[in-house]
Amino acid sequence: MLLRTWRGGQLGLIIWSLVLAVSVVTSVSLLAERIERALTAESSAFLAADLVVRSNKPTPQAWITKAQLQGVETSQMVSFASMVYHQSDMHLASIKAVQSNYPLRGLIKRSTTPFTLDESLIEAVDYGPAPGETWVDARLLPLLNIELGDSIELGDTVLKVSQIIVEEPDGGSYSFFGARVLMNWDDVEAAGIVQPGSRVTYKYLMAAGADADDFAVYTGWLNDQLSIHDRLITPDEAQASIASTMDRGRRFLLLAGSIGVVLAGIALALASHHFAAGQTQQVALLKSWGISASRVRSLYLQQSLWLGVGGSLVGLLVGYGFSELLIAIVREWLPIALPSAGMRPWITGMATGLLCLGGFTLPALWHLPAQSPLAVLRQDIQVAPVSSAVRGAFGVAAVAGLLLWYSNSLYLSLAILAGFALTALATVIIGLAMLRLGKNYGQRLGSIWRLALNNLWRRRSQSLIQMVGFSGAIALLMIMLVVRTSLIDEWRFQLAEDAPNHFLVNVAPYELDGVRDLVKEQNLETAGWYAMVRGRMIAINGQPITEAQKDSHESFRRELNLSWTAELPEGNKVTKGQWWGEVDSAAAIAPVSLEDDIAEELGLTLGDRITFSVGGLTFESEVVNTRTLNWDNMTPNFYFLFPEGLLEEYPRTSMTSLYIPPQQKLLVNDLLRKYPTVQVIELDKIIDRIRTIVSQVTRGLEVMTLLILSCGVLVMFAAVSLSMAERLQESAILRTLGSSRRLILGIQLVEFSVLGLMAGLLAAMGAEAAVAMLQYFMFDLPFALHPWIWVTGPIAGGVLVGALGVGYSRKAVVQPPLEVLKSL
Amino acid sequence: MIEVSNISKQVTTTEGTLSILQEINLSLASGESLAIVGPSGSGKSTLLGILAGLDLPTAGSVSLNGQDITAMDEEGRAAVRAGHVGFVFQSFHLLPGLTALENVALPLELQGDKNALKTAAYYLQRVGLDHRTTHYPRQLSGGEQQRVAVARAFACRPTILFADEPTGNLDTGTGEKINDLLFDLNKEEGTTLVLVTHEHNLAARCGQRLVLAAGRQVEQVAVKKKAAVKKTIVVKPKAIAIAKPKAKPKAKPKAKAKAKPKAKAKVSPKPKAQGSKR
Repeated sequence: MLLRTWRGGQLGLIIWSLVLAVSVVTSVSLLAERIERALTAESSAFLAADLVVRSNKPTPQAWITKAQLQGVETSQMVSFASMVYHQSDMHLASIKAVQSNYPLRGLIKRSTTPFTLDESLIEAVDYGPAPGETWVDARLLPLLNIELGDSIELGDTVLKVSQIIVEEPDGGSYSFFGARVLMNWDDVEAAGIVQPGSRVTYKYLMAAGADADDFAVYTGWLNDQLSIHDRLITPDEAQASIASTMDRGRRFLLLAGSIGVVLAGIALALASHHFAAGQTQQVALLKSWGISASRVRSLYLQQSLWLGVGGSLVGLLVGYGFSELLIAIVREWLPIALPSAGMRPWITGMATGLLCLGGFTLPALWHLPAQSPLAVLRQDIQVAPVSSAVRGAFGVAAVAGLLLWYSNSLYLSLAILAGFALTALATVIIGLAMLRLGKNYGQRLGSIWRLALNNLWRRRSQSLIQMVGFSGAIALLMIMLVVRTSLIDEWRFQLAEDAPNHFLVNVAPYELDGVRDLVKEQNLETAGWYAMVRGRMIAINGQPITEAQKDSHESFRRELNLSWTAELPEGNKVTKGQWWGEVDSAAAIAPVSLEDDIAEELGLTLGDRITFSVGGLTFESEVVNTRTLNWDNMTPNFYFLFPEGLLEEYPRTSMTSLYIPPQQKLLVNDLLRKYPTVQVIELDKIIDRIRTIVSQVTRGLEVMTLLILSCGVLVMFAAVSLSMAERLQESAILRTLGSSRRLILGIQLVEFSVLGLMAGLLAAMGAEAAVAMLQYFMFDLPFALHPWIWVTGPIAGGVLVGALGVGYSRKAVVQPPLEVLKSL
Repeated sequence: MIEVSNISKQVTTTEGTLSILQEINLSLASGESLAIVGPSGSGKSTLLGILAGLDLPTAGSVSLNGQDITAMDEEGRAAVRAGHVGFVFQSFHLLPGLTALENVALPLELQGDKNALKTAAYYLQRVGLDHRTTHYPRQLSGGEQQRVAVARAFACRPTILFADEPTGNLDTGTGEKINDLLFDLNKEEGTTLVLVTHEHNLAARCGQRLVLAAGRQVEQVAVKKKAAVKKTIVVKPKAIAIAKPKAKPKAKPKAKAKAKPKAKAKVSPKPKAQGSKR
């Protein structure tokens, strides 16, 4: 019976809505899950391992032995600064010695052509230099006046420069002080540089073998072995900026998917309502044949179940196809061998189909078994459908459940529900007033307008349902477009082509003018100079820092960068306390502002007093606020900030960030040659990577946007079709009475355009509210109003709905009236 | 077969209580045919609905095949309909998404008949539409659609067939053919036939005639010679509670009726007696 009903064309809209809902959810779930797994893999690449322990002591052999027994792959690495020589030239280089199986994750990109950007000249390998060889940063060549094939001296050993390092998987850290020299672990002893007491950093790399459980067991055991000298580093921490970018992209995908689900659900609700209205006569007929009410219910339940399962299966296939399309678009930055998704996206897709059916279709059909069989003889006998409030409640419950499960985000679910609920409520209340106003005002207008506005008022229940559908769809689409635009604009701002990609640190006061001039000579601009002093915490609330505290966090045992400012720096946001206004520099206790995470790690809260030692002098300060920082905009950030007038007299250095284009990269060499104590942190490679990821993610988002737009159009189509039979009948009758095509089409155009315009205006209200919530709670974007949606929404609504309505009702003026009436 | 005892039907409107039927009594034996005639608004379809168990009277009782259907709930009445009742409607009530064959087969399939399609094909052939089995209602003329509906009604082998203005939407010529088909099949199948009509020539073909008037006078007349029983039942007229606007007392029967019962000239394709009827 289901197949026949489908063949008869009555189920088309329902099936389309169901398939679309399931395919949107499935495709986004698949993509999001695979991105997440790819991100984890990518993050592991940033660590060159799945997990790393960083220490100032060598890795205990017991750890390595146990790892071998557990099937965990390990590798060791040591980093230190050391002079390298070639004849009379020397350079303080950043040395990294690795074992032959480095990297455990990711690849090293190398070349035999210095400073090349040509991908065909770059090779990716999963091993490091052999003993006796070294791979170096291209900058080292002009610094030491060498070429590939020449040898350099490192301690007591001589190494042959055989390759140029283009990119290291774990090379994006902030420890690039000096050009990189990569050497083999076995050459370290021969070099004789690493001695007891040397300032070196050891890294113990681990990667899971075939059994992830074994790895988990091993790392659990390892965690208990760590001492105060050891620090565990996970992939997420490795590249916070990329993770943050990817996380935003993933959240947007979820948002788009959630909106798509809600839209498809609305379309399903409207289509079901329409379908049910056409089934009452059929049910009366069935009951006149002696089919009992319970059997009728069973028949429709079975049909619905088959519909749900069949539609969901098709939706799963379509969703899979779509996700493959999306992945093909973003493939450039994803690993070639994409990890496959687990079962969750498939289960989510299928559950979506069944839940949509339960929440939207079944309530619309529930009343049918109660239809009286007498309706076969009397058209006026129609069983009342389940009340709109109850159906609405089921729909909202279904949508809320779907949103929560799918997004796993309470904020996102609440924002979307709130946006839609507000829009629906506003539509019902304000929309009714608008319709009445339109009817009254229309009396003064020409015949087409008068008739059209009268019709809208006369059919006001239906008009309101349609308006809820239109405004809901428009609101949800606007939410998505606004958030997407804000996200992309934010990324573009942060990663503008000329966004800072190098930091200059430790510039002494007497060097400042010289460095400034050097930068200016190259026609480059900095992001501003930030002065800072080095200080150390010596007491908390009057109690001296204990050994235990020193062991618990490195900030208690090393010097910190302290800076000062009158205004809250750009990108910083106060989370607790108040920012200072005018401060009395003679006050006994100076205020201090801490970064959120560091405050938490150090166990410090508002009101705590910290005693600092700076340049041998001490002063006390009180924590008056905590802040979050924005790491994405590549400007200097400080964990500890003071007001102006406190630290200026202490010995200080300055730092800045600036953009150095690839062709001017040798500025770094000039800088280091003239000012060897200045530290240069190079972020160009990591920024390029982020930029690539962002552009690919953006393209993925564009494609998702198209999919969601089609959901929106489907909703509008479903809403338009609701009243179409009645409209066509009226139009056909008007034509038989001699009305012109112009009049009939004109009436349809005005009716639908006005509906769309009203809906667009109401949608703008709901969208603005929802976007505010999303921007603040979910995407960490600054709150902003969007005047353009108040203009675009109504216009787009009027044009789109008007076009759909007229297109649909053209049949009434093209076909002979009698044919139209017969077909109805 | 059908026993009707003192049934009345009243409905409550915003203006008060409206009497649609007043103390109707009738008796119809198995195999007989009854025409319920009267002008528009006289309660014909209401009475039909009550007789078929689609509606309940306000007072009185109806028995079908010895079962008092007025004492049953809707599920009970549905069960009685399932086994015994067939319908033909004025507006055909074919399902637009099903072919002619599927329309006829549907009630059989719902009853679990494994040979539903075969039976449906046979009856479509009986009504002369074996060449239109795969056509949808929209592809059929009015007369053809009603023939499909007639085939559907008879395919279920009902013991009672109720027809509500079966030719109301058809032109005279087509209507006559439908009437012929109806009575031919009725005679073959031995079905008890109850039909509502305002056409007197159709009413004249039935064994009994029950006349309803918006006002007072109702009568039942047996006109079939074979029956040889002159049953005249006079139903007491009753004042109608709310003034029905129609003061037209007579339903000018002669206006339309052409006294031409023999339209059997050519059409019915003479079914081949074939196939099992089950």
